[in-house]
Amino acid sequence: MRAVIGSYTIRIERRADLRWWHTVVASVLAILVSLFLVGFAFLRAGADPLEVYREIIAYAFVSSFGLPQTINRATFVLLAAFALIVPLRAGLWNIGMPGQLYAATLAAFGVAYAFGAKASVNAQLNGAIVIPLMVIAGLIASGLYGAIAGFLRGRLQVNEIVTTMMLNWAMLWIVAHMIREGGPFMGRTAEGEGFTLPTAIRIPQILGLPLTAYAAVLLALVLTWFLAKTTLGYRIRTFGESPRAAEYAGIYATRISTLVFTLGGMFAGLAGFHYFTGVPGVYKIPKNYGEFADFSFYGLITGLIARNNPIAAIPVAILFGGVSGGARFMQGKLRLAFGIDYALLGVLMIMMVAFQALAQYSVRIERVVTAPARQVGLERGESRVESPRH
Amino acid sequence: MGGDGARRIVLEARGITKRFGTVVANDHVDLTIRAGELHAILGENGAGKTTLMRILFGELQPDEGEIYLNGQRVHFRSPRDALRQGIGMVHQERKLIPAHTALENIVLGHPKKRPILNLKEAERDAQALCERYGFRIPLHAKVWQLSEGEKQIVEIIKELYQGARILILDEPTSVLSPPEIVKLLESLTNMAKEDLAVIPFITHKLPVVLEYCDRVTILRRGRVVAEMETRQATEQTLASAMVGREVMLQLERVEVPLGEPVVQVQDLWVRDDRGLFAVQGLSFEIRTGEIFGIAGVAGNGQEPLAEALAGLRPVERGSITLSGRDITRAPVLERWRQGLGYIPTERRDVGSIPNLSLVDNVLLNYHFEPELSQWGVLATGRARALTERILQEYSVVAAGPDAPARSLSGGNLQKVILGRVLSRPPRFLIACLPTHGLDVGAAEFVQQRLLDAKREGMAILLISEDLDEILALSDRIAAIYEGQFTGIVSAREATKELVGELMAGLRRERV
Repeated sequence: MRAVIGSYTIRIERRADLRWWHTVVASVLAILVSLFLVGFAFLRAGADPLEVYREIIAYAFVSSFGLPQTINRATFVLLAAFALIVPLRAGLWNIGMPGQLYAATLAAFGVAYAFGAKASVNAQLNGAIVIPLMVIAGLIASGLYGAIAGFLRGRLQVNEIVTTMMLNWAMLWIVAHMIREGGPFMGRTAEGEGFTLPTAIRIPQILGLPLTAYAAVLLALVLTWFLAKTTLGYRIRTFGESPRAAEYAGIYATRISTLVFTLGGMFAGLAGFHYFTGVPGVYKIPKNYGEFADFSFYGLITGLIARNNPIAAIPVAILFGGVSGGARFMQGKLRLAFGIDYALLGVLMIMMVAFQALAQYSVRIERVVTAPARQVGLERGESRVESPRH
Repeated sequence: MGGDGARRIVLEARGITKRFGTVVANDHVDLTIRAGELHAILGENGAGKTTLMRILFGELQPDEGEIYLNGQRVHFRSPRDALRQGIGMVHQERKLIPAHTALENIVLGHPKKRPILNLKEAERDAQALCERYGFRIPLHAKVWQLSEGEKQIVEIIKELYQGARILILDEPTSVLSPPEIVKLLESLTNMAKEDLAVIPFITHKLPVVLEYCDRVTILRRGRVVAEMETRQATEQTLASAMVGREVMLQLERVEVPLGEPVVQVQDLWVRDDRGLFAVQGLSFEIRTGEIFGIAGVAGNGQEPLAEALAGLRPVERGSITLSGRDITRAPVLERWRQGLGYIPTERRDVGSIPNLSLVDNVLLNYHFEPELSQWGVLATGRARALTERILQEYSVVAAGPDAPARSLSGGNLQKVILGRVLSRPPRFLIACLPTHGLDVGAAEFVQQRLLDAKREGMAILLISEDLDEILALSDRIAAIYEGQFTGIVSAREATKELVGELMAGLRRERV
């Protein structure tokens, strides 16, 4: 695109090579612009924006209570982001994190239930046996639940966005059935939430953080390597870039789409497993399980902002994990209107996505110079042939 | 005819220069177009033809230089502006609405805006134009029912109807069959006689330029390297000026003793995407060291045939045998392991992946091979080495093995595809339109490589719409028409006329 203003030309062109620091600069700018814009909302609400931001940061990234919470929420978002990234590398959209994460959670709690974990928080169980079984059951359940959408997409071209959305609703009703009044996983206090996991089979912690938080970071590295260096990763990327070229190369649509949705489902499953069996103070399927379904969609935004890069998703997940917790805390502490924390998050997400899109373009301003035309030294009608060899 | 100085100059470009970043796409290009002439602009891909064309019809503004129309200096701000002043453009891709009639398409976008569409009057005007220039077009047929050649004529009439006196045509012959090309150029010659200026931009098809055009301007690397009357030119001088070195236009046919049959196809029936039989009972065999050419106008079943052989399309009936093994229902990779190689028609999106690196693109043919994929992990070092070897052996101009495929020109991309398919190496090669859209230099290279492969004993199925190419390379030629062979002739008895008639379905030999 080009616009001429006076003797200057402004050109907006798509960047030929987008470097990693373009993305970083764009994200930082997006954060600053959002904080500036939302500042007006806080002023309107009668709060000093600077104080608000200080509170959020102090709580989410400094305080000894808020920081682990930030990391735990970030882990959940990060794993949900992987659930988007893997299928998206194959050109397919996984919107089914809620369904997949509860498939894993129900399976894990099912294993615990089978071992009699519902009886008491102090139930004597062997964690070294039960926890791995819970992980395996969770991965199988969420992998299978994800695979449904992938298989239907690959074999019958059923739109995966629609399928995963519908599977979310199905799973959320199953969760309701399991934990609400009379459900098998209902807690003993019968308050519409699941039973509390016995201490023996909670995810072990290192430095106050569940092992799953460390696993998520490790998985970011493994996933990056998997996509870049393995044969399956290559086939996924190839299929994502061009299904027809993949077909030419003997890479089968059904296999790839089933595979990516199985993997994606497993990552979403790990997110659920992490939060409901590993985060201190939770250790159950909570009453507000629907909010975690929504929260898993933060992973979707995170994956998009990170441009499908698992490692780049880490800082984005930490940002959203921190701001979502910190803003809620700040809203309560400063007694601001309900929902203002969501305003901050919403603007932040929109700005980051928008700035990522803008980062793909470069803006150049040039002075318009009109040079005199060269003399034409050719008589009309004359033939002229340069030697083809110089 | 010819460029005697007496003819009126209608369009003149002086010192046109256009830069894109550091690339000089047009470097002081001078161009003089006279009324009543068919003036070809010739150049390889990347020679600056497209840029010059876009400047002439107002889509781009030159950085330097001037354009004169009938002696008046002009500035075109947009294509619409250029058209208003009499410069029309017919693009390489059709810009018509398939569901509308030819007439409705011709009227669409007419600059004289009238609130009520008077199709009767428009029909009269369009009809008059057709008669004047000798076009025969069913004006009331829907565009989707027309052949490629007819669609192009509709676009030409559309431009004339909107008042174009100078007509720019981008690669007008690229999608046409040989008889359609003749028809089109005769029409263009008629138009030129009526005092219009016609400027076709052409990459290949030099004989067309020599036979029909009056003058030719040749571009190379953004500069005008020659401007001459075609009666002074030969195919050789044109090709050499375009490429910048001597070019072999006559390929040396290599006779190698034919060996065992490598591939045998028996009574093959294949459906197209609409479920109709596009391939109807074809049978043939190809021996080692033989090039079996299939000549035909696009859409007569060549594509489904190639796809069925490559394993991308199910076979309804019949059998395919490769080296004595039945592969009729074998999956793609099984066929490749058996020695099948496939160069698809679509170079981008099927033959390559624009956004991925050349290494990843080479892997398309290798990702399942144990040497390049150990324990499910790619042997990146070996893949790189292989890619570098292909780039070198096939003299590909590329930034390196990590360059994305989209950064390569069509010719260089085709060299990569050819290199990675031939390096396996296959025993049976399917080459679909291997030189389609390539410039002279790259086409020569590809054809030479096919002949080399034949000499080494490969059995090659060559599918091409370029009759000259088929005749030059093949040992036996089958003409395909509506999914059936209308004749199979040996190279010795094949003539352009005979094969042309066979592929047009006008004649049928016993197969």
